[in-house]
Amino acid sequence: MKKWLICFIAFLGMIVLAACADESSQEKQSEDDSASASEGEDTTQLSFIHWRGEDKEVFEDIISQFEEENPNINVEMNIYPSEQYQSNAQQLLRDGSTGDVFTSQPGTQFEAMKEAGLFTDLTDEDFVSKFSEGSLSVGQADGKQLAIPYQMVFNMPVYNKGMFEELGLEVPGSWSEYQEMADTLMENDIIPVVFPGADIGPNQTMNSMMMNNAKDEDIFQKLESGEESLTNEWWVTTLEDFQFFNENGYFQENALGTNQDSAMQMVANEEAAMIATGSYHMATLKELNPDLKLGFLPPITVEEGEVDYEGIHTATFMLAINSNSEKKEEAKKFINFLSEPEIASQYANGTGQHLTVTDVEYESEELQNTAHWITDKNTRFQPRYLITEAAVEEAVLGSIENVLGGASPEEAAKEAQQIVEENID
Amino acid sequence: MKISKSIYLFFIPGLVLYSIFFVFPTLSALFYSFTDWDGISADFNFIGFENYQRAAAGDSIFMKSVGNNLEFMFFVAVFQTLVALVFAIFLVKNTKFNYFLRALFFFPTILSSVSVAFIWAFVYDPNLGILNQLLSLLGLEFLTQNWLGNGDIAIYSLAFTQVWFHAGQMLIIFVAGLHAIPNDLYEAAKIEGASRWQIFKKITWPLLAPSATIVIAYTTIQSFQAFDLVFALTGGGPNYSTEIIATYIYSIAFRGYDFGYASAISVIFMGIIALITYIQFKVLRSNRVSY
Repeated sequence: MKKWLICFIAFLGMIVLAACADESSQEKQSEDDSASASEGEDTTQLSFIHWRGEDKEVFEDIISQFEEENPNINVEMNIYPSEQYQSNAQQLLRDGSTGDVFTSQPGTQFEAMKEAGLFTDLTDEDFVSKFSEGSLSVGQADGKQLAIPYQMVFNMPVYNKGMFEELGLEVPGSWSEYQEMADTLMENDIIPVVFPGADIGPNQTMNSMMMNNAKDEDIFQKLESGEESLTNEWWVTTLEDFQFFNENGYFQENALGTNQDSAMQMVANEEAAMIATGSYHMATLKELNPDLKLGFLPPITVEEGEVDYEGIHTATFMLAINSNSEKKEEAKKFINFLSEPEIASQYANGTGQHLTVTDVEYESEELQNTAHWITDKNTRFQPRYLITEAAVEEAVLGSIENVLGGASPEEAAKEAQQIVEENID
Repeated sequence: MKISKSIYLFFIPGLVLYSIFFVFPTLSALFYSFTDWDGISADFNFIGFENYQRAAAGDSIFMKSVGNNLEFMFFVAVFQTLVALVFAIFLVKNTKFNYFLRALFFFPTILSSVSVAFIWAFVYDPNLGILNQLLSLLGLEFLTQNWLGNGDIAIYSLAFTQVWFHAGQMLIIFVAGLHAIPNDLYEAAKIEGASRWQIFKKITWPLLAPSATIVIAYTTIQSFQAFDLVFALTGGGPNYSTEIIATYIYSIAFRGYDFGYASAISVIFMGIIALITYIQFKVLRSNRVSY
């Protein structure tokens, strides 16, 4: 008994020693912290969280300029992988110590964050006027501006303009012209559209494929309230269009097994004329093949007189201030800084993105050549982001995969509608 | 030998850690399964068994994910056990070459799931992947497939990857089990004129039963927990054809923000694993012998 007791006391002693060591190192750490705090007595540490790892360098440069201009504010940027951000951001924001400035996607994530009361009302802030008015509505709720979209993404196929010029092809304005164009490409052994069905293909292409089949922008709201059904003409027709593209060789073989990296490679190698993703891939495509000349070419699946929408846009990467933050004023200063035209231009050109900030000067040929889509074209906000229930969104996307896997559009629509009905109140 | 009661004090640190990291989250999941908590808000309502009723009666994707998971588990449990057993029998002798091969087969086990997913995403790519290219080179073009994009075979492609990933680990367990079988038994059997099959059937397999129990139970649990591999390779698609229970729970909790329902499915999931493992233990225990 005695022996065991001695052993146990020794064991406890080791734990206590370890704990003391840890404590003393923590004390040292806190001493260090307080020392550095006293060095920069009034410095405020501002936390900025988002998911765009590819923008790290540009943001670091912008942050250093901001800190130079505001010596009392330090910005600590934390970037999370997109999926992790989707799942963890809400938890991180809850206590207010992380994410004084944070970003949100429109749609499901915005709705969830709004329901959790994580947004600060920005309606009366001066910087709101620096953003194009048309883009702001996506960050509004209950008459308040809760988040401000920073990026303008075009979620529609990007095409190889140079290839079209070589083949003497015009950008089609109707479904029959589109078919002629696709046939010419195939005659030249070129895949018209490479579709990354293994990852983002369905969720990107559904938007431009349905834009003129379901012109009602509230269609998904009605679907979620039970007023509309996926078995109705608008969605069945969209699925028929997907089937047509797949069965007639407009999409590459094995479309559902192709991921976006392979798809980009096929466009860069000029095996395919278009990639069914969006503007965010233009910079990478140019890196893969600097000779490419790129533009947007959404699928026009209706005849000329029926074309209402020419493309799809998404105002996204929405900047917001955590309602639990104690540093709201500093956070506002940071967003204001990001919305200054010179800084926004630096961000746009550094990341190859269009922005919602007005007066941005685009430097690259691709951004310049496509910037007119913001002002001159009748684009529609990405319908997918108007689905607020994740299960409904997955059912919608699943029906596309089902059709590409060989199911009939009617059958796929029926199956998806059943899932929708299981998941709406 | 009389053991002092004070020895139980040594359980305390482990028990505390186990309670914090296992018991408490499990009880929390049970608690939240009776609520409509969204995972973010401070408020939630108790809704009784509503989440369980929804899972049992009105959720076709949950049913599909259970079916997919059972299919995946069955394929993995059978093939992983067989592959590991066959390799273990061939590599049981302690020679330098066998040591090397055992290490080689064990190697995938030390990789992270995400690395494995990246490797196999490249292997399975229908356009640029090495598997289809290899088949074409060998004149077996008719066997090329859309391995992860075809809903009819995607779950088997994932299961094959899972077998590749973990068979080496099970191989080591079987090798250890084989080494524990006394050589006298084999010598006696040979003297009696037993054939190789008879030796395997009457000596090797029955005496390997404890190892097989561990391998099969562990393989089963692993195949239910294959979240990261499935998530990284297919995300549950195409059209839910590779949706397993773990990916579905993730989807409900972190995409749909319905933690209450996700907790209920987690509790059901735990029950399914416990039941299957119990049945396996019962069946395999009945096969055990001792000489």
